[in-house]
Amino acid sequence: MSKKRIVITGIGVVAPNGIGKEQFWLSLKEGRSGIKPISRFDTSEFKCKLGGEIKDFKPTYFLGYKGLKGLDRSTRLLCSAAKLAIEDAKLSINYNNTDDTGVCTGTTLSSLWNFAEFDKELIRDGPLFTDVSLFPGIVINAASSQVSIRFNIQGFNTTVSTGYSSSIDALKYAIDFIRLGRIKAVLVGAVESLSLVNFAGFYHLGFFAGIRGEELSCPFDKRRNGIILSEGAAVIVIEDEIYAEKRKANIYTEVKGIGSFFDAYKTGKYHPEAYGLKESMKKAIYSSELKITDIDYISASANSVPQQDRLETKVIKDVFGKFAYNIPMSSIKSMIGEPYSAGGLLQIVASVGSIVNGFIPPTINYKIRDNDCDLDYVVNKARIARINNVLINNYGPGGSNASVVIAKYQ
Amino acid sequence: MANNFEEEIKKLVSDITEVPPEKLKPDADFFKDLGVDSLKAIEIVAAFEKKYRVIIPEKDIPNIRSIRQIIEYTKNLK
Repeated sequence: MSKKRIVITGIGVVAPNGIGKEQFWLSLKEGRSGIKPISRFDTSEFKCKLGGEIKDFKPTYFLGYKGLKGLDRSTRLLCSAAKLAIEDAKLSINYNNTDDTGVCTGTTLSSLWNFAEFDKELIRDGPLFTDVSLFPGIVINAASSQVSIRFNIQGFNTTVSTGYSSSIDALKYAIDFIRLGRIKAVLVGAVESLSLVNFAGFYHLGFFAGIRGEELSCPFDKRRNGIILSEGAAVIVIEDEIYAEKRKANIYTEVKGIGSFFDAYKTGKYHPEAYGLKESMKKAIYSSELKITDIDYISASANSVPQQDRLETKVIKDVFGKFAYNIPMSSIKSMIGEPYSAGGLLQIVASVGSIVNGFIPPTINYKIRDNDCDLDYVVNKARIARINNVLINNYGPGGSNASVVIAKYQ
Repeated sequence: MANNFEEEIKKLVSDITEVPPEKLKPDADFFKDLGVDSLKAIEIVAAFEKKYRVIIPEKDIPNIRSIRQIIEYTKNLK
């Protein structure tokens, strides 16, 4: 496979703390949280009330009224982010280039709401009287397909569904497609939306902060006790560098290296040595052809789960040795919560902001030091810094791990 | 069936086709005039069946192509 340079030329983001890249970057820089009491469904029967909910999202603003009725929230979020990304990249998709453009989306639970509603009516009203309009939306590739339908993108359309690491895995798939010479530009997307179904699921698994202790997202802090679930969508346009230059695109950053690893251990459990995350980081750095000392910032996957943050800290020390202490790192999940499959791409969008605008977003809510987490965490306040190369990690319990290195384009 | 049956059917078709009820003429052909595709046609049939708790036999479905035809068909169901 040829080593074509892969560049990021467009960004669309709909996050709990900001819609559009400028708002999102500003919120991150100011340490503004998008975590708030959930209003989308009734939480009175749960101990936990908070979520990273996008409250001021008006899909008609992005997508108009026509055809919106049949789209669930996840699809609306993803299509809106796609519209922003296409506009940002000044990508004109037409008869001549539609076959050169593809869509690749990372998502795992986005169709769960449709599934649950379809099933609910089936049980309540009987098998002959369920709402058929919900059915096309229960397939996991529904959201991604709607992006292609709406924006007439015919090159390819794939949904990658690997849990936490889905969106970085989707990026890897898209990069491979470009490097194989089968496509020139890809809209890489990620989406998850908050619904009673996924909230209840994670709650009963005991994953939430607030079940035991304070309901707070405070990665690396000693008080951390679980995730705060959130929603969000991001889409980036990636292109073969030559294609981007030919169409005089604005290049934000380059995707230098990427790696993923599945360390199957036990359902819903972390590998005790975070072996997969370590291998993903090594693969990402190795394929970037950078030295470990070239990494200026690590965007952590840390999501305020005691074991996750400790393991990530440990494997960073394993990979970077004594240099680990010199590299600033932070977790934006302190501000956006845990958006599950969408987390990796939201971190990538945040990190593009770090490179372009020269800042490291903080890990907010940090108060009490944990001796197991002793690296250079940028806490509570953004740090102004010149960033050339960022390592982004994404992993969770269950075995899927992914890392990516993005770099200043030069 | 309710007295305002025609209005109910109009609303049902309007919700699915996204054509405002005031613009829905009783004889407008779903496929030719309202841009209904096969999936939307199934949605109209399914929504009708669900609302009035009836099952329309498969062979009859292709013959129901307008609001007036739905109403006429329903008379025979009574």
